[in-house]
Amino acid sequence: MATASPAPSGPQPSLTFTRPVFAKLSPHPYLLRTLSPDSPDQQPTRNNGRSPHQPRPIQINTSSLSQAHGSSLVRTGDTTVICGVRGELLPVTAIPQFRPHNGTLYDQDEDDEARARKELKDYDLLVPNIELATGCAPQFLPGVPPTTLAQTVSTRVYSLLHGAGVVDGRGLRVWYTPEIKKEEEGEMEVEEEEEQEEQKPQVVAFWVLYIDLLFVSFDGNPFDAAWAAVLAALRDTKLPAARWDPDREMVVCRKGADTRLNIRGLPVACSAAVFLEKEHAEVGRGEGNRHWILLDPDRSEEGLCKEVVTVVVDCSEGETRVRSIEKQGGTVVGRELIRGFVGVAEGRWREVKEAMGN
Amino acid sequence: MADRRRINGPPGATMAPVFEDDAGQPEIKNGKGRDRAPNVIRKTFLKTGVTPSASGSAYLEFEGSSKSGVSGLKLSCTVHGPRSLPRSSPFSPHIVLSAHVKYAPFATKQRRGYLRDPSERDLGTHLETALRGAIIADRWPKSGVDIIISIIEGDQDRETSKSQGDETWDMMNVLSGCITVASAALADAGIDCVDTVAGGVAALVQDAGEDSTPRIVVDPIPSDHEKVLGACCVAYLPTRDEVTNLWFKGDLPASDAGLYTQLVENGIQASRNANRVLVECLGEATS
Repeated sequence: MATASPAPSGPQPSLTFTRPVFAKLSPHPYLLRTLSPDSPDQQPTRNNGRSPHQPRPIQINTSSLSQAHGSSLVRTGDTTVICGVRGELLPVTAIPQFRPHNGTLYDQDEDDEARARKELKDYDLLVPNIELATGCAPQFLPGVPPTTLAQTVSTRVYSLLHGAGVVDGRGLRVWYTPEIKKEEEGEMEVEEEEEQEEQKPQVVAFWVLYIDLLFVSFDGNPFDAAWAAVLAALRDTKLPAARWDPDREMVVCRKGADTRLNIRGLPVACSAAVFLEKEHAEVGRGEGNRHWILLDPDRSEEGLCKEVVTVVVDCSEGETRVRSIEKQGGTVVGRELIRGFVGVAEGRWREVKEAMGN
Repeated sequence: MADRRRINGPPGATMAPVFEDDAGQPEIKNGKGRDRAPNVIRKTFLKTGVTPSASGSAYLEFEGSSKSGVSGLKLSCTVHGPRSLPRSSPFSPHIVLSAHVKYAPFATKQRRGYLRDPSERDLGTHLETALRGAIIADRWPKSGVDIIISIIEGDQDRETSKSQGDETWDMMNVLSGCITVASAALADAGIDCVDTVAGGVAALVQDAGEDSTPRIVVDPIPSDHEKVLGACCVAYLPTRDEVTNLWFKGDLPASDAGLYTQLVENGIQASRNANRVLVECLGEATS
């Protein structure tokens, strides 16, 4: 409370303002002042009361929507995002350049896994889209095409989905084993098996996952929240059992036999913004320009910082694996800082894992 | 031409899953029917202030039916403004309302597109009319207010496959929810209104069975009944006893004029019930 004097209580007019007014009028000096307290025994704090390395608590709810196959609601501070995953069927006849592979239903080797991953990418089976134009913040109003931010976040989610190999593509295939004729059970069994070998099972359709994200409320750091929502919704997704009906020549599904999607790992995104002491410092001149790393920045902080770094880590296999590092705008964060930041991201990973529940 | 600003997915057309046992089931399900009294609306949850960065916001949820698979309506509304109109727009002596209603892609049985379709525009127009009667518009000359509603989940039966034109009736329920939630968000934004406007739906329905006669119910769920003959959505100001918007759809015999009045009366009754929830919610928010 040492930085700004309190509002005058007397009737005489004065030129002192309250703290929120200062924060609105000159945000950069105000944040600088709260981050560098006068006395050394005071902790640097941000406008929102957090310390620089303190993220907002995260809350995750799943399965709250009934029309989608999988859904989640993620809330970090004032950022709220809803994700719905819906599966639709894509028959292979609708794929222009479909190459049937010679794998079988029971292949469990690494080749098949790599092939499934390639299928995901080639046939575009994952379709994430972010909708920001819901009035979630004053700058996002509907009636305009998707903003640059919405497009960027969609593309980043898309590339991370493919890059981290989160979805097991084998779960998205619909198999069909053609039968020549119905055999009587019993004595003919041996011949039947021979026939089965001639008629190999084949992939007739794929599930396409439409992953739609809707921001209900926006207060900075959209990517972390969006990615957590995508992951939680995918882990919640149950696809109905599907089979090929040769008479109707279409895929039909059965109720009550849903299978959960196989999701590999638990990559968690962790973003931070770099706040510089001098607002308009020259690029490349780091000397004498102090900086603070603000974890999980909110909307007002994002407006003041140019440099943002995002690290995606996965500690679900015991050791920490870095899935992706993204950094834009600025020269402060170097190799050493990123290494330290991965440690911070591990802490965030544990929090998100706790919020996911299982 | 595909929209290059979005991720479009595979070029081939994808299909929603088709279930094999669709044919027999709906009849059995429909036998259960409505379990509320004809003049009782569903339980409603309403909360204001879900979007802190907007001037006003509200979230509304209708309880789902006791049948499994029928989802309740979930709506989120934000209000931005009043703010000055852009320089290019002509002078307006009163506030300019713009209402925008959009389904989330995962809200209904059929996946929704990203652009508004005619039914969503229709909802927006009706909502605007309903609210215009409640707002004291000449207090803010030269300014505009945006009301944006996202339908997170529609009011639809997931189990039935036959659509039987349910969407047209669903729109009535959605509109009544939109009116109530927008009214709460406007109050949260501190925009002066003459009264709190709330929406109510009444419908003339025919139940399954040979000997059933058509009856009037409020807040209908189309899948509960064999057939909906007509429905009407009313936006009503209780203290002024005024109707700001009336939307009637259906096919009723013209000879029975009493039926129309009865439908509207019941719609007003439903709206009064919704208003009680609204007032209670706003009272909680201010206290």
